[in-house]
Amino acid sequence: MLTRALTVPLLCIAASVGIGAQSSKNTAPESFRINGQVTDTPGGVAATMTVQIDKYTPDAEHESIVKALKSGDNKAFLDVLRKAPVVGALKMNNRSIPIRWARQQPQGDNRRIAVMTESPVFFFGAGAVDAKPTAGYDVGVLEFTIDSVGLGKGTMAAAAKVKPGGPTGIEIEDYSGKRIELMTVTRNKS
Amino acid sequence: MSLAVAVWLSAFAGAVPQSKNFTGAPETFHARAQVATEAARGDVYVDIHVDKYTPEKEREAVLKALQTGGESAFVDAVRKAPIAGQITIGKQTFTIRWAREVKDDKGRTITLVTEKPVYFVGAGLPDAKSRAGYDVAVVQLKMDPAGVGEGTMAAAAKVKPGEPTGVQVDDYGSEPVKLLSVTRKIQ
Repeated sequence: MLTRALTVPLLCIAASVGIGAQSSKNTAPESFRINGQVTDTPGGVAATMTVQIDKYTPDAEHESIVKALKSGDNKAFLDVLRKAPVVGALKMNNRSIPIRWARQQPQGDNRRIAVMTESPVFFFGAGAVDAKPTAGYDVGVLEFTIDSVGLGKGTMAAAAKVKPGGPTGIEIEDYSGKRIELMTVTRNKS
Repeated sequence: MSLAVAVWLSAFAGAVPQSKNFTGAPETFHARAQVATEAARGDVYVDIHVDKYTPEKEREAVLKALQTGGESAFVDAVRKAPIAGQITIGKQTFTIRWAREVKDDKGRTITLVTEKPVYFVGAGLPDAKSRAGYDVAVVQLKMDPAGVGEGTMAAAAKVKPGEPTGVQVDDYGSEPVKLLSVTRKIQ
């Protein structure tokens, strides 16, 4: 069980209600081409995906999602998340997973962007004979930083359990325990 | 995916008699296993150690079980067979219970069956199919006389009777696992 380093950035973005960056020049609609990879002792996996953000989650919807999350009722949180308007999609191979939450926060000349899919993207390691149950890992979470040129990097929990707790108030537990590194994130030209 | 490949079948059925003067086992192979789709690729290093190739009598018992009792009888017979070697991936080992080599003018075709599956390729997808019935793994290596080759692995496989040659291997994974840069380790 691993609580990911996504915790702090996600909370920062969660706390950034009404940030000015929502109206910055580089904003939705926009899409990013992402190369992710996981390495382990005997090998590794690399994948390419696209994150399309049609719009960033408005403050009112964002606040209701955060409120549901902090209530500690996971079902209520998922209900609110999955009833929120679709704000984009994560596309991988021929799959398209709706994004129900997307936020951005300015960091100097850069932006920190976080998105949450309505369902898990992939249970990394679930093919093992002794794999643990996948129940409860209900969403996918990506967080990345992008500079003014449109290049960046980040991390991903492909199947995540989001819950209140820890020093920052929000914890993200990754199914795999493996950190998926988003090695290159490139903002596509509009 | 159904892998009713003639070479596999000849290996199972023993269409080409096993040479009596082979100097193979015990032997170890090193390979890079790769699964690739349009959007993703996974690589892992694999070591395959064969202690001994399955004798004719035990081979026939397993095949007879398949032909008379179907999939479950085949799995039972495989699991009762003596250990023939092991596959090692990282810290995990998988026992080989059936090992066969068939020689031809290009080298050898080696077929191995493990007592349980190695990995369910694609099982990480949220809508993955049931794993039931995929109870073994089947490896095939094609080695040249110099000890270099390539192969494939049905990492979770269902072996069942089937036409036209009597043996059919169904792979759980939708994408085949390729065994690349296979090398026989020098003893």
